Amino acid sequence: MASTSSELSPALRMSHISKRFPGTLAVNDVTFSVTAGEVHALVGENGAGKSTLMKILSGAFSDYSGEISIAGKGVILHTPAQAKALGIEMIHQELSLAPPVSIAENLLAGCLPARRGIINRGALLAEARRWLAEVGLAHLDPDVAVEELSQHEAQLVEIAKALSNKPSILVMDEPTSALSRDEVDRLFAIVRQLRARGLAIIYISHHLSEIMQIADRVTVLRDGRLIDTLTISAVTAARLVELMVGRKVEERAAGRARQPGEMRFRVERFTRTGFFHDINLEIRAGEVLGLAGLTGAGRTELGRSLCGIDPRDGGRIFLDGREIASHSLRAAMRHGLAYLSEDRKLDGLALLLTAQQNLLAAYNAKARHYAAGAAARTLFTDLAGRLHLYPAEPNREVNQFSGGNQQKLLFGKWLATAPTVCLLDEPTRGVDVGAKQVIHEAILALADAGACVLLISDDLPELVNLSDRIYVMRRGRIVRELPAGCTEEAVLMAANGEVS
Amino acid sequence: MKKAHSSDLRRLRVSALTQWLNMLGIYALLLALFLAGMCISPKFATPENLLNVLRNVTLLGIVALGVAFITYSRHYVDLSIPSMMALSGFVAITALPLGFVPSLLCGLLAGIVVGAINGYMIGYWRVNPIIWTLAMVFMLDGILRWAYGGNQIYPDNGTPAGAAFLQLSQIVVFKFLPLPTLLLLVLVVVMHWLMKHTRFGAQVQLTGSANEVARLSGVPVARVVWLTFILSAFTTALAGILLTSMNKQGTFETGQGYDFNSVTAVVLGGISLAGGRGKLLGVLGGVLVIGVLLNLMTLLGLGSFLQLVVKGLVFIVVVGLTSWFGRRSGRSNV
Repeated sequence: MASTSSELSPALRMSHISKRFPGTLAVNDVTFSVTAGEVHALVGENGAGKSTLMKILSGAFSDYSGEISIAGKGVILHTPAQAKALGIEMIHQELSLAPPVSIAENLLAGCLPARRGIINRGALLAEARRWLAEVGLAHLDPDVAVEELSQHEAQLVEIAKALSNKPSILVMDEPTSALSRDEVDRLFAIVRQLRARGLAIIYISHHLSEIMQIADRVTVLRDGRLIDTLTISAVTAARLVELMVGRKVEERAAGRARQPGEMRFRVERFTRTGFFHDINLEIRAGEVLGLAGLTGAGRTELGRSLCGIDPRDGGRIFLDGREIASHSLRAAMRHGLAYLSEDRKLDGLALLLTAQQNLLAAYNAKARHYAAGAAARTLFTDLAGRLHLYPAEPNREVNQFSGGNQQKLLFGKWLATAPTVCLLDEPTRGVDVGAKQVIHEAILALADAGACVLLISDDLPELVNLSDRIYVMRRGRIVRELPAGCTEEAVLMAANGEVS
Repeated sequence: MKKAHSSDLRRLRVSALTQWLNMLGIYALLLALFLAGMCISPKFATPENLLNVLRNVTLLGIVALGVAFITYSRHYVDLSIPSMMALSGFVAITALPLGFVPSLLCGLLAGIVVGAINGYMIGYWRVNPIIWTLAMVFMLDGILRWAYGGNQIYPDNGTPAGAAFLQLSQIVVFKFLPLPTLLLLVLVVVMHWLMKHTRFGAQVQLTGSANEVARLSGVPVARVVWLTFILSAFTTALAGILLTSMNKQGTFETGQGYDFNSVTAVVLGGISLAGGRGKLLGVLGGVLVIGVLLNLMTLLGLGSFLQLVVKGLVFIVVVGLTSWFGRRSGRSNV
């Protein structure tokens, strides 16, 4: 059905779309179209511009350039309401359902059938059953609260909710990230039905095997640019990886000839049910251990549990041969663990406080440490110098700094505690090249000083360049160990569960 | 959301437990207190005493039924409840020369206007409900004291309207049921229906449990919040008028304590501070538990100071337990 695309006018056509954010061109002259009755996959590494492109489609921005037409008619998508009215529905990774509310009321939240304000219970349930049947959930009682459902069922209810708005274009963003193999198959059966009914479906996923299975065509983005649109039968997963990674200029970090020392940090059978299972890992003094995996593989959850922020259901942690028995962030910090959170704005930095307050927040929280006055200023000056903080103004509010310098502050906040084990979750997400360089050097300096570094990153060049070894996580388990100097392709294939 | 679903089994167990606690729990607690009461004092289980308990919590119940909607919409409570009660009492007495029914209407209207202002600011302007209604307390107190020169006022028993006003809270229906208690029972039925069977009720639940989801689904979130505050102001004003009639005077202290007591009853009755969870029948149970508890403490001879401590403890324990269960089940803040 994909081959007929040239004859029909496409359900959606986005031509020469660009969107600029301060400092970067997130989407750069991308042209792409989806026909009715097609599943069109959108792939690319993190930061390739997929989500920005889809946000444009959902009406999140009013300042994109380029033209969008739906069923041949030019449209303007400046608000979410406009996008909805034109039949565009999105299903996000995070579900948008109200947990304690019944399925029926969730499904029809916007248009509850009622006469003079009194809900017509019979009509509500009947209507809900009709939409549930559309996604193969006819057996569910629509009167049950959404929180009683499994993740899989909730995902399908979400789709039913989108369908109840009678869309012509359906965007699915990583719809399988929390589903089991079986559930994915069932989801795909539904997707195929929707396709047969003439919906245009845009399918975003990091899981290439799924894309090979469900998509008719695939569009590859890299660095905000369109690389190619291909028919799925004409491409292999390996070829897609090549296109996604591209022929990048390798900026290999210098001086990687370090010899890791003694075994320092060891984790045994670490488990948090539902997130990760039986994790064993060892990091030597001075070693950078990379942790690769797809979204939802459980890496962030592992990092948070290791340093005591989230609970654990089993397993032990040893540092220098002694067990860290008590499970709390403070205990972990006392032993020299540091966890750099992946989202600096959400839980990494206090945006309204000053640079110095943030930089010393973790240091001053540790027992027997307290720097104030001149001592604090000395510490700030030292850290700001090491991280080339710009501007190096201690009293400037954090949200007045650029993204890159905010990330330096987050890194410096933990550097100040002189960590022996550093768990870094996306330490350079969304920063410019200069800040990235500085942070990379700081990570290597930390390792050279004898610390253990666990590096969680979706940035494959970064992961491959900095790591002495790479573990690949998939669905909550470590499935593969790769040596230093392995290729990005090898990492990506392993994360996708393919044997390279 | 994502996290909550991944530990399905544990979550289901906990949510079943909390639901059991929420509904049955409050009435089981009521029964336990009742049995304890029978052991403590022979005076407890007499019809006069039980009717007394009911009479004492009737007005609290009327207020709590309205507050429940505010809590259900995840806006916690209206702190200006005591001032609103005083205001409606003052206004009703002042309007007595217009006649009995107009005076009642004026009293109710005064409360509703304040509720409409609160709801407007909190719903449309998204002002923090605690801070805004706290400010309203001072505004109303100031206005009342200024308007009445700091004096209490009394209905004139000599006029027919004044006599009727004083009689209002004393009417007994079917030879045993005080009129305010009858009003409470009627309101329980009406409000329960409103919460469970109308579009408004469904929209309050959606708004309370997932504000953003509700908004993006086309629910007029701001208007829904506005209406919950108006609804709550209505029951509050009604209670304020009845209390004024009972006290035979309009004072600035009328309604003192109803803010905290009502939200305690609401939370005790199983309406979650996180919004969108609970039932109004539970709130009635919460109100009765508070009534029996206070009665028992009086029978035991505990002073009113200690009673305050117990009330605070009850609130702390209930909120603490629900937060603990919520964290265990992976909900972020219940």
